[in-house]
Amino acid sequence: MKVVIKAENVWKKYGSTIALRGASLELREGETKVIIGPSGAGKSTFLKCLNLLIRPDEGRICIDGEEITSLKADIIRLRQKIGFVFQEFNLFHHLTAVGNITIGLTKVKGMSKEDALEKAKRVLKMVHIGEDLWNKYPAQLSGGQKQRVAIARALAMDPLVMLYDEPTSALDPGLSSEVLLVIKDLSERGITSLVVTHEMGFAYEVADTIAIMNNGRIIEEGSPEEMEYMKTKEARNILNRWNGMKNGVLA
Amino acid sequence: MPSIYSFFRYIPFVVEGTLWTISLVLGGLVIGFFIGLSLALVQSFGGERLKKMLNIYIWFFRGTPLLVLLSLFYWAVFPSLGLELSPLETSIAVLGMRSGAYQSQIFKDSINSVDYGQILAARSIGMSNRKLISYIVLPQALRISIPAWSNEYAVILKDSAICFALGVMEILTRVRYVSTATGLALLPYLFAGVLFFILTFAGTGVMDFVYRRAKIPGMLEGLR
Ligand SMILES: Nc1ncnc2c1ncn2[C@@H]1O[C@H](COP(=O)(O)OP(=O)(O)OP(=O)(O)O)[C@@H](O)[C@H]1O
Ligand SMILES: [Mg+2]
Repeated sequence: MKVVIKAENVWKKYGSTIALRGASLELREGETKVIIGPSGAGKSTFLKCLNLLIRPDEGRICIDGEEITSLKADIIRLRQKIGFVFQEFNLFHHLTAVGNITIGLTKVKGMSKEDALEKAKRVLKMVHIGEDLWNKYPAQLSGGQKQRVAIARALAMDPLVMLYDEPTSALDPGLSSEVLLVIKDLSERGITSLVVTHEMGFAYEVADTIAIMNNGRIIEEGSPEEMEYMKTKEARNILNRWNGMKNGVLA
Repeated sequence: MPSIYSFFRYIPFVVEGTLWTISLVLGGLVIGFFIGLSLALVQSFGGERLKKMLNIYIWFFRGTPLLVLLSLFYWAVFPSLGLELSPLETSIAVLGMRSGAYQSQIFKDSINSVDYGQILAARSIGMSNRKLISYIVLPQALRISIPAWSNEYAVILKDSAICFALGVMEILTRVRYVSTATGLALLPYLFAGVLFFILTFAGTGVMDFVYRRAKIPGMLEGLR
């Protein structure tokens, strides 16, 4: 399988805080990888480095074989290959659900208004946003609805891979599952996904690989079945703490 | 004792001054809008050197009394640049440059109030800075600016009276003339006050209307 994202030895400092200390990761086409790790491990920073929302201090990141960290890289074009879903949704407040999706299609992809509208409707259906919500503004939507619109916005750009940064941690448990189900569904349709989450049940059920991050690095990874046989003590400790929170959202 | 009736025949003359006042205010606001918005965009997205230079501009126009600015530009700056501007043109330019310094603050605040997450989201779908400014930041920032902008209208309206110093035929200039001609004081100045009041009321009323129309559905407290 083709490698969609390859990150090697990525470093990032914020003043005196070192957020990333040589993080590396590889994501293959069709794969769903979940990243877990304690707060402050650098998960968000790492994800934002992958599409250069944050420029790393050091390291090499390739998207679909092209180096996005190169100073000559066409970042605007490469970013379109990556869908990004934020913890805080970050919908455009002044646009409706449909508008949030068509703006990228018309202004970035140069689609006609009609085509963009058709496409927006199609992706909104994929995330189970019904017609009654299409013309609602973000402030009129529930958290779970907002996040699903945000997923649709990213999806509409036809990315090679979807990145999710704790997509459900701003949501009540009831609303989390509706979002997780959508992510699971997309993953099962073969959309390459990289998900940072604390949702245990989801990770074991949906992930092909689970990567454990601590102290600015990915320390170990393996399939859900391999989680019991982690080599390092560091990884086992994190997993033990994490398994304590197991709640099986999708079970 | 001068007759108050002598004032009445000057009423059309004074009322005509509102056209001049409105020209000053609208001219100043529009010029100030473009200067203020450009300054604010540079302050939010521009380089450090440019920001410092623009701060000098803002500091100068906010720190200098309007009367001094008017005289300076009319008697010194514009002539030395070879520009032959009339008192009205000079006044509009000065009101505009000064309002731009104040409006930059308004726009800077409202640009900053568009949360950074939306900017990241816009970048993540492949928008350049220019696109995300036009399609994401400004549509929200301009809505948020309306109340402060309405206030700026009221301020510049009152400031416009100072342009009497260059002999611009706005309301106050005419009233001063009428006062001298008729020997009356209370009535003409009171009348000027009423005209300014009506202009303030009408202008801010229009802005309130625009603000309500521009409200984003579902958002509490207007637009935030
Ligand atoms: N903008 C910033 N300025 C300064 N320090 C930052 C910034 N963003 C993150 N950090 C620091 O970098 C480290 C990694 O943060 P990051 O947000 O990437 O962790 P995380 O794994 O996503 O944590 P969480 O699970 O709490 O979201 C932390 O120590 C954090 O305090
Ligand atoms: Mg995080």
